[in-house]
Amino acid sequence: MSSLLLISDIPEDHAFATQVAKSVGCVLIHAKSPEEGAKMLRDQSPKFIFIDGSSAKTYQKFEEAIHETVGLFSELIQPNMIHFISSETMDSIPHLTQSPLFGHLIFRKFDKLDECAPVYARVLAATAKERAFGLENFLRPGTKIQTIQLKSSDQKQGAVGALTNYLNQAKFQPRMATQISNAVDELLMNAIFDAPIDDTGKTLYSNTPRSTIFKLEGKSAVEMQVGFDGEYVGITVVDHYGSLDKARLLNHVSKNYSDETYKLKLHQAGAGIGLATIYQNGGSFFFSSCVRERTEVTVFFRRTKSFVEFKNQFRFFSTQFYF
Amino acid sequence: MLNATKEQAGSATLIRLSGAIEESANFDKLLGPPPAELIVSCKDVPRINSVGVKAWIRYFQQAQAKGGKLTFIECSTAIVEQINLISNFTCGGVVESIYVPFSCESCQKELIGLFKTSDLKSLNFILPELKCSKCGGKAVFDDIPEEYLGFLMK
Repeated sequence: MSSLLLISDIPEDHAFATQVAKSVGCVLIHAKSPEEGAKMLRDQSPKFIFIDGSSAKTYQKFEEAIHETVGLFSELIQPNMIHFISSETMDSIPHLTQSPLFGHLIFRKFDKLDECAPVYARVLAATAKERAFGLENFLRPGTKIQTIQLKSSDQKQGAVGALTNYLNQAKFQPRMATQISNAVDELLMNAIFDAPIDDTGKTLYSNTPRSTIFKLEGKSAVEMQVGFDGEYVGITVVDHYGSLDKARLLNHVSKNYSDETYKLKLHQAGAGIGLATIYQNGGSFFFSSCVRERTEVTVFFRRTKSFVEFKNQFRFFSTQFYF
Repeated sequence: MLNATKEQAGSATLIRLSGAIEESANFDKLLGPPPAELIVSCKDVPRINSVGVKAWIRYFQQAQAKGGKLTFIECSTAIVEQINLISNFTCGGVVESIYVPFSCESCQKELIGLFKTSDLKSLNFILPELKCSKCGGKAVFDDIPEEYLGFLMK
């Protein structure tokens, strides 16, 4: 039976990991210190690692302990299997977002364990597959998934409008529907303009004005999948370039423009703030990329009774890369 | 798609924006060069994406550079969110009034109430309850005060 290693002395983390391990059918092994955790990693080869990443000091200890036991580049430790847990926002945890071990980040908001543990168990199960692709992996089994193929760049606004209607029908408050639609607008824009690269890795359309109309055919085809399982809506945007760069992605989402001035870069067609602003507006993200083949970005939002609940919902930020 | 109407309000030009601000928005074409005194009503702007934000800042920075007087009124929730997310979104302009989101505790209907920013400050950001227009129930402020009203607290 596979195991989930928890490295944390925080009771909330233990309660969450216990529930997730149970839901995913794993044995939970628990270390209270990074040093103990590194030894368990070496001796028991867990499939998943949950670790308290709140402080830079704890993280540093973990990195050192890993270095001394199995080595940072060991097969036993891969970013895809590491799930940091933190109460802080992404702009205040550079030790994690700049870490070579960054894979997944869970925000410590476990007040409704019965709701968040099954959701994260599905995420975990998806990461254990050969490839974590497909929206159906993340929603309740049997959820109907609708797919929209974008044939031309000017179909983006139509797709966003269709999504807003879908969300209204699913009884999301109008303000929630707008937030979700805005997030998907940015993801579609990234898939259409930023994902396409040539054989040398140079971007093809990143400097093209975003109002330019061109066909999305063959490798440039962009797809949007939408599903609502009665609790969560999930939207996946798919491109076929697999050009997502993890360091750039984490750098973008870690920016906080409420403190620093947003400087216009007139030579760039994009705004460069899309991911940062949509991330700060709430929801969970799962970025899955098979290098030079395919990238899928999925956002999840829970339907809540109020907007305050919507903003305070359980969240995670995941990256899964395949080379 | 963004539209605008222009009218004269004393010595100022009042522009009423309506529609989503996205990649098709061309402020220069729609509004012409920014006048010396400009009042912008954003009541009917339901959404703005990142390219729209860029176009917005580019246009209103021109007004700021000219040393003109810039006032934003009736800011929709979408605009208020951007004011909070991007420190220089108002380009030196004054935010005079904003729409504040409320939610009915009985029927969960989303409501909005228009408040002058000066009133919000004098209320010490403690918002009154509203009566739901659908069921008559109690509607309460539905956001996180430090986030939605954060730009006024700075």
